Amino acid sequence: HPHCLSHSGGTGALAQWVLVELQGEVEPRQSGDLAGNLLGDLHYTCEGIPVLIVGHHILYGKVVQLEKPFAVLVKQRAAPQPSPTGPHGHYTVTALIKTKLLFKTRPKPIITHVPKKV
Amino acid sequence: AAMRSRAEVDATLQTAKLNPAELLPAVQCLTFGPQAGGGECCLLQLEPGLCAELEAGRSLVVRGEKDEHAVLCSKDKTYDMKIADTSNMLLFVPGCKTPEELNADPASCNIIHSQIAGFSKNYWELRRCRPKLKKLRKLLMEDPYEGPDGRKDQTSTFSKYTTEDLLSLIQASEEEILHQLQVIDACKIEGYWRILHFDYEMKLLNHVTQLIDSESWPLSKVPLCACLEELGSLEPREMIEHILLSYGRKYVDAGEIFFEMCEDKICRAIAQMLLQNAVKFNLSEFEEVWQQSVPEGITTRLDQLQGLALVDKSSRPETIFLLKVEDLPEDNQERFNSLFRIREKWTEVDITPYIQDLCAEKQTVGALLTKYARSSMLNGVKVYNSRRPIS
Repeated sequence: HPHCLSHSGGTGALAQWVLVELQGEVEPRQSGDLAGNLLGDLHYTCEGIPVLIVGHHILYGKVVQLEKPFAVLVKQRAAPQPSPTGPHGHYTVTALIKTKLLFKTRPKPIITHVPKKV
Repeated sequence: AAMRSRAEVDATLQTAKLNPAELLPAVQCLTFGPQAGGGECCLLQLEPGLCAELEAGRSLVVRGEKDEHAVLCSKDKTYDMKIADTSNMLLFVPGCKTPEELNADPASCNIIHSQIAGFSKNYWELRRCRPKLKKLRKLLMEDPYEGPDGRKDQTSTFSKYTTEDLLSLIQASEEEILHQLQVIDACKIEGYWRILHFDYEMKLLNHVTQLIDSESWPLSKVPLCACLEELGSLEPREMIEHILLSYGRKYVDAGEIFFEMCEDKICRAIAQMLLQNAVKFNLSEFEEVWQQSVPEGITTRLDQLQGLALVDKSSRPETIFLLKVEDLPEDNQERFNSLFRIREKWTEVDITPYIQDLCAEKQTVGALLTKYARSSMLNGVKVYNSRRPIS
């Protein structure tokens, strides 16, 4: 059966999200899954360069306008039967992504002995 | 856990030895949302035009049975879907602001909490492909229409397909499907798309050509009304009109509808009728019978039979046999394999009609031959054969 990808919003424009691209893996500091955990603080320099502080690392990146935008597909919960991973499922288009923050430079470690108390 | 405060952000900046004066005032604290790790979201990379279609509110459809590779269809195009792995982590963040957006809103607060909706290491990549339309003909050939008197027609609608049925079964866009239905001269009978049984089609064509002959109408000006009047007692009016539409070009002159008959198509149909009854024919005998079988005023030419029949110039006497391109496999490699099984070496002129339909957008026959065949010289002529042994 064909599966329709139409946008879930109904009326109004599709949401625009942003992609953040990081090298390597992101792991939670404590065991358990990532949900609820802070990834980090995202700043921009006055020149518009994104700076991401993740744990003890500083990542410098750049803002990239995507030549080929992405659609974000969300799987519908009411999937009738389990099927092998693949596009054979019910999806809706939730958002479009036209911009990404690409962090490719090696992270600079933040060297500190004692975290500063607030 | 309490949300991060501006004071904590500032402390981190200090530890990191970053100068706040060199940064925009607003920080975005990114946290993983509750669904983030669930794998509910995935990314689809959009080819040009698809983004605009989605923004215009149009849908994209994924089509394919479990045994088929899935394709994505817009209103008029078809794309293969493939997973592309990156070695990077792709996080999707709703509401994440770019520097421009932050600058445009100077009154905004200096701390924004944004949730990461999901992440992935891969995404779906699209590549425009030929619509997979061979199945369309196959489905309609399950129950070809034999006319109102055809025995089979009283039976169930099991092998009959509506437009919606076809849309759900064929891996192609709606426009590509509708266009192909026109190309194969399908017609809608009682809401179902049907292909005519070849014998019935020839019967209808014969009625029309005999009438044209007896009325001495020019082939370029066959009146619809008169045809319906004269033949309406023999066959359904819709079928008479259908055969005229299939074999002619409709136009209006002084308020009346006429058809300019397509001589080449008539010749092809009659050739098929003659050739389908034997494995092969003596070429010169065939050419004679063929010319005698077509309506008065039409001249037969072998080049009318491209993609329908093949001449064997190596046999003595020369022979001709039926070989329809639509009976050959749809997949490129399989098509070439079957062609090389039929004949070991092909000239470009002979093979072109049998591979033309494989050309992707902007691809040439030459490019296909370079990819799937190997060339050599035979008696001063360039020929193509298989790259590897064919079983």
